[in-house]
Amino acid sequence: MLTSSTVENYLKAIYGGAARLEPGHRLLPMGQLASAVGVAPGTATTMVKALAESGLVEYEPYSGVALTAAGQKLAALVLRRHRLIELFLVRVMGYSWDEVHEEAEHLEHVVTDRLIERIDAMLGRPETDPHGDPIPNAEGLVKTQEGQTLLSCPLATVVTVTRIIDQDKEFLRFIEQHQLKPGESIEVEARDAAAGSVRLRGKNDQRITIGTRAASKLLVQVAHVLLLFLLATPALAQSTRRAEPARTNLSGYMDFHFNKPEFQDGSLDFHRFVLLVTHSFSDRIRFVGELELEHAFVEGLEEAGELELEQAYVDFLFTRSFNVRAGMILMPIGIINERHEPPTYYGVERPFLDTVIVPSTWFEAGAGIHGEVGRGWRYRAFVAAPLNAAAFSAEEGVREGRQKGAEANAGRPAVTGRIEYVAYRGLTLGASAWSGKSGFEFRPRFDVPVSLVETDARYSRRGLELRGQFAQVWIDNAGLLNDALALRVGVNPNIGSALRGFSLESGYRVIANTARGEVGVFTRYENFDTQYRMPAGYVPLLQLDRDAWIVGATYWPDPDVAVKVDYSIVRSQSAVVRAPNSFNVGLGWWF
Amino acid sequence: MRSCVRTCSVGIIVAALLVEGTGWLVPAARAQEVRVIEIAAERFTFTPSEIRVKAGTQLEIRLQSDDTAHGFHIVGTDVDVELPKRGRGITTVSFQPTAGRYTFECSKLCGAGHEFMRGVIIATD
Repeated sequence: MLTSSTVENYLKAIYGGAARLEPGHRLLPMGQLASAVGVAPGTATTMVKALAESGLVEYEPYSGVALTAAGQKLAALVLRRHRLIELFLVRVMGYSWDEVHEEAEHLEHVVTDRLIERIDAMLGRPETDPHGDPIPNAEGLVKTQEGQTLLSCPLATVVTVTRIIDQDKEFLRFIEQHQLKPGESIEVEARDAAAGSVRLRGKNDQRITIGTRAASKLLVQVAHVLLLFLLATPALAQSTRRAEPARTNLSGYMDFHFNKPEFQDGSLDFHRFVLLVTHSFSDRIRFVGELELEHAFVEGLEEAGELELEQAYVDFLFTRSFNVRAGMILMPIGIINERHEPPTYYGVERPFLDTVIVPSTWFEAGAGIHGEVGRGWRYRAFVAAPLNAAAFSAEEGVREGRQKGAEANAGRPAVTGRIEYVAYRGLTLGASAWSGKSGFEFRPRFDVPVSLVETDARYSRRGLELRGQFAQVWIDNAGLLNDALALRVGVNPNIGSALRGFSLESGYRVIANTARGEVGVFTRYENFDTQYRMPAGYVPLLQLDRDAWIVGATYWPDPDVAVKVDYSIVRSQSAVVRAPNSFNVGLGWWF
Repeated sequence: MRSCVRTCSVGIIVAALLVEGTGWLVPAARAQEVRVIEIAAERFTFTPSEIRVKAGTQLEIRLQSDDTAHGFHIVGTDVDVELPKRGRGITTVSFQPTAGRYTFECSKLCGAGHEFMRGVIIATD
């Protein structure tokens, strides 16, 4: 007659051995089983035949053995007893985690189900034992554990130790000594295959180097995945194979400036406070919103700051090459308009070109399509509310004509688009266009067709950053527009029929990838004229034909935080009206 | 006749040794090769953004950010990892696609153009 503990030990050994079989293999070879239980192969075969007669295993001579459903359940219940006892001994009895395995080996065969149920309830229905091994429930079901070893988890990413799969006493002491027990957060900094070592960053930035063999025995999960796992209901955690991404995200950027123009007092300006929020209704339907407070303060009709809804759209993502977007959208013009997080560009203020020729940040209510085809070819094409020519000016061009989605006239929507080609890593070439009828506010109505073309190139690699951009705007019927505005406000605004600008910039990170941060220096040349061409009978103002040199530096203590300083030298063609130079300091960050 | 058989046998063995010696003969049991693919992430592009592989190829995708932290998620799979910021390391992902198109995208909000940051792995038989 078989003793109960012998049967249980065999079942447990088959259960554990089967878990380590290669995928596609079902039967545990008899030699492995004999070795696991510490008997001769012939003894193991005799026992397995007896177990097969009891309906607990399937035995195939010369092939191996597998548990039946009944055997599987019995083995899982033995493990349940073993692991609950281990946890009880550690938590309640004060044992250390490297001495409980042997005690549990004895006790697992003698404790009653009633006692185990009490222990389970007393410990709060735990899911894992002190080593991170999953505890089967009272029905013998085990929750699936997802995890990677330290040999396969992502580098430089915070992971949480979830399980130690070797319970050798010495090894467990080593793990405890180096604070690598389940629940600890660590990062794999480097793996050296030649030396067979893995370098870890543990608690308090402590560096630990362990061998690849030891590293293969620690299971980990990426920290945020683990958090979701713990927050999920047990049913959800069991049924899902991957952690769903958070459905709502909050992010943002800020821009704080000190500007000191020549001959004027300096000013402190919290230029931008921007919050981005995204929400995924599903993998394919997403919302993106961007709310910006400019100059920190908004009050009634006074000339102060602005509160702007710069983006608020829903994306319907169909395929990589075809997606639909609708809502408040950024016009796809130039480099800065769609890519304006402060740490991403040199200089305290945005380039003049992206202010007076391309009126960034340029956003409007509209809809359209976007996507990517082939290798690196991207497009966007939108219809949107047009610019309002009644707000154009000589000095700022079309900038004040943005309707910003505020009950915007859309009788004759504008069309805009951009094609971008990422030729290879770091090099992006782009061309943008915009066209619309902007004279809708005048009675009798007349057309003010406005069109803009822009082209740009950007190269960013190994600390070197090069940018070039050209933009030109045409305002047809500018003469009629000037006449109509002169009648309305009593002064002829002298708006040009064409605006043009270009800029060239080079920057280089002279100090890169150090623990204390990075430093980059840059210089930019800009040439811009908001009266590049004038309607017949009008004379341009020479002070609006300007160029500028901006030189400066950026210090990034973190890739998402930029401390900037620059000096801007602005010149115009006028000998009378001088544009002031300025010294600027900025602090910008993204999170 | 016997001499002819012997000559042919020696010829076949020598040919087999030569082929094995030059590496042309690849035993079926030899471990499957891993194809390493390096992808750079930067607001708001993955480069390369289109990757063509043979179905069943074991891919080791090495991801590196050139600016802020990004995510790398292969839609419809378990692959969803975070890429540390510039200069803070490389993230590796193992992926073995069956035949099909696998869209990947940035899964960590990285800026105003975050939603443009996508790419595709095309696995063909």
